[in-house]
Amino acid sequence: MVRWLRPPGSLAEDGFLSRCIRCGQCGEACPNRCIQFFGVGNGLVHFGTPYIRPRDKACILCMRCGEICPTQAIQPIPRKAKAILAKVRMGKAVVDKHLCLSYRGETCGVCYRACPLQDVALKVQRLEQPVVTEACVGCGLCERACIQMPQAIRIIPHHAA
Amino acid sequence: MVAPGSEDRPRQGRRPFRAQLNKLRWLVLSLVFLMLLALPFLAVYQSYVAAHAYDLMSPSEQHFYDFMAWLTGPITDNPEQDFNLVKGTTWSGTLFGLRLSDPLAVLSQIAAEHRVFTAFLLTGLIPLVATLLLGRIYCGWICPATFLYELNDNFAVVLRRLGIRLPHRRLDTRFKYLVLLVGLVLSAATGAVVTAAIYPPAIIGREIYYAVAAGGFGSGAAFFLVTLLFDLLVARRGFCRYLCPGGALYSLLGRYRLVRIQRVVGDCNDCAKCNAVCEFGLDPMRDGFGQECNNCSACIAVCPTDALVFRLTPRDQAPQGPGHLGREYKRSQALQSGEAGEGGRTEAA
Repeated sequence: MVRWLRPPGSLAEDGFLSRCIRCGQCGEACPNRCIQFFGVGNGLVHFGTPYIRPRDKACILCMRCGEICPTQAIQPIPRKAKAILAKVRMGKAVVDKHLCLSYRGETCGVCYRACPLQDVALKVQRLEQPVVTEACVGCGLCERACIQMPQAIRIIPHHAA
Repeated sequence: MVAPGSEDRPRQGRRPFRAQLNKLRWLVLSLVFLMLLALPFLAVYQSYVAAHAYDLMSPSEQHFYDFMAWLTGPITDNPEQDFNLVKGTTWSGTLFGLRLSDPLAVLSQIAAEHRVFTAFLLTGLIPLVATLLLGRIYCGWICPATFLYELNDNFAVVLRRLGIRLPHRRLDTRFKYLVLLVGLVLSAATGAVVTAAIYPPAIIGREIYYAVAAGGFGSGAAFFLVTLLFDLLVARRGFCRYLCPGGALYSLLGRYRLVRIQRVVGDCNDCAKCNAVCEFGLDPMRDGFGQECNNCSACIAVCPTDALVFRLTPRDQAPQGPGHLGREYKRSQALQSGEAGEGGRTEAA
């Protein structure tokens, strides 16, 4: 497993691992069913912990997982743009300009339209060229929506950065 | 049928309520397991409802949706919200807004974080108090693994009747305390709750969810199968008796439990059915319960003379010797007084 995200509002990786009891309630509560669980493939320390792979299915920032998490490994955060922008740090989107259609002169803008924090986390220039701002929380909806293969915009998780 | 040795006091009329508790226990075990099965389906149904996209679903998804709508229709008209009330597993879950967690989960989490997180500690309080009062009640009455292990044990009985020889080794019951200790030390060392990976009820809760909602069983299912085979081929109920870290914790917590099964020596006829039925290999016939007893009441249900009772006391009785209705006691009485049987009965009364 090369790149994965933790659910929105998760503590930093070390803190998250010592809090998460592998109960799986986050996945059960997720209405989007984007939360998956590690097997033994990623090491015993990660066994049974939740992750999101945005290209499979990305987070819609409904914040239900944090509501149900019994240990607050995923912090409870109200579903308000202000609170989400302040507290959610899943990762940050990075655009590969060599792959991005808009940067290659073909107006696309799919990632911009998919972004739940449009014009705050993701802005566009001429030809709908995406520009990621510091506000990006890393939900991954842009990566999920990208029509390029491999994807031209991808989330670099904070634990990997 | 009257059991051998109980000719002089046959069971009459209805049995006491405590003899029915074993059936109640099976009902509870089945309900808990059924709930663990149902919850993932409800979660999937919830996500379908939340999607508001019935027309875009595949025919099989639509069938599932229709079936669940038919099934849950009488209970709720707002499944998306209402089924949030019950979530999770016996490892940690939400029951109508009340959060409950396994004391082992709480302890492992404290070990992993090297710190007490109070909000989570509180969720383990009710199970903790229940264990302090009732002993390993979780093992006997709730644990979804117990449900499968006992079925597995019944399966072993069938196999034996068919003439297949299954070994039944007795190992050291103290080994599970070592497993608990190693699990906690590993949790503390790695900073991750690793006990969740070797604790069957936690595994079952997760695996059922994986199988139903996340595309198939994970590696935990393989681990659980191995424990089933261990029980079948090495030691009867071996995992619970000798290896389970949760069982170890509950045994320790339940050492001074208030509710205990005890033997009324005057009613006991030494038939040893209690010893044969005890899933944990204890010795009810000679007052050997100890901290391992999980108050499952199987021995009470099987007792032909209703000589086993629940009592409120923090300690086991000292060994009381042979039951007064048994041959051994009668013979010793006859030797002492030369008057067969009578002396023993009046003494007991």
